[in-house]
Amino acid sequence: MPTFRILSLVIALVAAASAGGASAIGEHKLEIVASNYPLAYFAERLAGPWATVILPAPADVDPAYWRPDAKAVGAMQKADLILLNGADYEKWRAHVALPRLKTVDTSAGFRDRFIRIENAVVHSHGPAGQHSHEGIAYTTWLDFDQAAQQAEAVAKALIAKRPELKTAVLDALRSLQADLSGLDGEIKRIAAVKPNLPLMASHPVYQYLARRYGLNLKSVHWEPGEMPPEKEWTELDKTLAGHPAKTMLWEARPAAAIADKLGAKGVASAVFDPCANRPEAGDFLVIMKQNVENLRTSFQR
Amino acid sequence: MRHDFYLAWRYLRHHRTRTLILVLCLSLIAALPLGLHRVLDAGEYWMTRRAEATPLLVGARGSAVDLTLGALYFSEAGVPSIRMQEADRIAATGWADPLPIYARYRVQGQPLIGVTLDYFDFRGLVPAQGELPAILGDCVLGADVAERLGLGPGDTLASSSGNAFDLAGTYPLKLHVTGVLAKAHSPDDHAVFVDLQTAWIIEGLGHGHAETQAAPTQPDSPFGAATVRRADAGLLTYTEITPENLGSFHFHGDPATYPISAVIALPHDARSATLLRGRYLDDKSATEMIRPLDVTRGLLENIFRVGALFDGILLLVVAIAFLLVALVFALSLRLRQREIETIYLLGCARLAVMRLLFAEILLIALLAGAVCAAVLYTAAPHASDLARHFILS
Repeated sequence: MPTFRILSLVIALVAAASAGGASAIGEHKLEIVASNYPLAYFAERLAGPWATVILPAPADVDPAYWRPDAKAVGAMQKADLILLNGADYEKWRAHVALPRLKTVDTSAGFRDRFIRIENAVVHSHGPAGQHSHEGIAYTTWLDFDQAAQQAEAVAKALIAKRPELKTAVLDALRSLQADLSGLDGEIKRIAAVKPNLPLMASHPVYQYLARRYGLNLKSVHWEPGEMPPEKEWTELDKTLAGHPAKTMLWEARPAAAIADKLGAKGVASAVFDPCANRPEAGDFLVIMKQNVENLRTSFQR
Repeated sequence: MRHDFYLAWRYLRHHRTRTLILVLCLSLIAALPLGLHRVLDAGEYWMTRRAEATPLLVGARGSAVDLTLGALYFSEAGVPSIRMQEADRIAATGWADPLPIYARYRVQGQPLIGVTLDYFDFRGLVPAQGELPAILGDCVLGADVAERLGLGPGDTLASSSGNAFDLAGTYPLKLHVTGVLAKAHSPDDHAVFVDLQTAWIIEGLGHGHAETQAAPTQPDSPFGAATVRRADAGLLTYTEITPENLGSFHFHGDPATYPISAVIALPHDARSATLLRGRYLDDKSATEMIRPLDVTRGLLENIFRVGALFDGILLLVVAIAFLLVALVFALSLRLRQREIETIYLLGCARLAVMRLLFAEILLIALLAGAVCAAVLYTAAPHASDLARHFILS
């Protein structure tokens, strides 16, 4: 009986100590700011309950064209970790003062493999104003191997901040990388069925996707909600004559009138959402799985 | 005995001018060396404290003293610049965190220091008013600068051009004060801090300018090239960064080649520090790594050598002063011969006269001691400032 009592006491003490430890970590939650949703998702998966992940760009704005004001910069300065996509994604970076030691450029590991875009077209995104994609292609995470490297960079930064979480973060990283690797393998298999299948894209944001999976992709500069002018349809006809694509990839579902007009030309619309901002429903993995399914349908067409 | 002091006090009060001069002379003779030592001690404390807090410093190969004084104490002499890639090189080793510093410019006589925000965390600098710089063109003031210039959050001040004969035209930039740092009792109190990128804008490496055609034309073909016509950069370069023109500010060239004065390296542990120092052993390298504490100790040794010389001279001056005081007393006794005779005639012993004189000397010494203590007490809070002014700056 005394042995049982001692054992109970020891178990109770251990339980109390672990509860205390957990609450101690909970009290000092890491505050992480991510410049886009893929990074926020990676951080949420890797840091779990030990961090609060903030995506400062408003929900209705593409984070690539968002510019933080002084208040947003002040909030970023107070964070424990600032995750940047790099590859010229954060064009505001040169205009603000951020702590260098808290900032992590998650794509720095494959900087030598960035895709440079020359002679890009200037175009508008409705009220967001005009912009050009000239410079470096920035949707790095659409190459899921690169996404896995970015996730690893996030994990390293987390471990450097909280070495005591190393095991948990590495476990979560393995799980996340397995998911990304699954997506990577799936698209490779889809693309391998019909190599060089001509595809169109509504926006020049799929450069890394095309390179990684060998997609034969040409881009226009169309917005899902804006009917392109007639001369752009004429240019599309000319492009289709030499590049007979049967699918156009869109960042979001296009307006019915655009989809119908495309359909009349024998081009179906398929959504491949880069998921740069937090989705209304689901998460990064759900959206990417849906993208893969949409791509599979396109290749079966 | 009580009567001796009463008589002595009455005598000193009667000859108050002579007493005052004697007290002042003696108190100052005592206060001078003690005060000097206090200033030297304060100088040693501040120099050592700042150097101890700065483990390693990387800068242009040359004078280690100049590098330390320039990067740690923001001395006016300045140091030759190195490139930003030096900070990247340190970060790439994974052994230390780099803190680049650019201390080339001055604004209204105060050092203008370009840093990354990590510097404030490293030195424990927090804003007492307002916020730290957030956007290009923002600055934060050290406590003493804010007091001296009478500026606070919301005010502006213009950076001074680096060189009056600069034909490339580095225009003064209107800096927006976003905050005032809490008093740190260090050279940081005398500095104006900007983000490193703002310092490079002042340098002329980045700028913002108006475009002749604000709205670029849509190309005829969706696959055509962008046609954006920009104004000649020399025509209208902004001298103030506002939310409206912020987007037009850009840098030219590779930021890794941009100038900085030094890099403070914060090694993760002793092994990392040793490995990192090993990287800078090559004498042919354009940069060197120093331990500011070693440099500061060497500098302090020189200062204390000079201090010891001062001590010797002061000792001699004190001895001469005391001889002069003794002479004053001896002459005073001669002048008081008739007074002493009267004391004898009144029936006092010779010892009584001696006691009276002793009481006078003791009262003068006590008064001088009190004045000396008051002077030292009044000057004590300024010892640090004097040390920083005469030793650190």
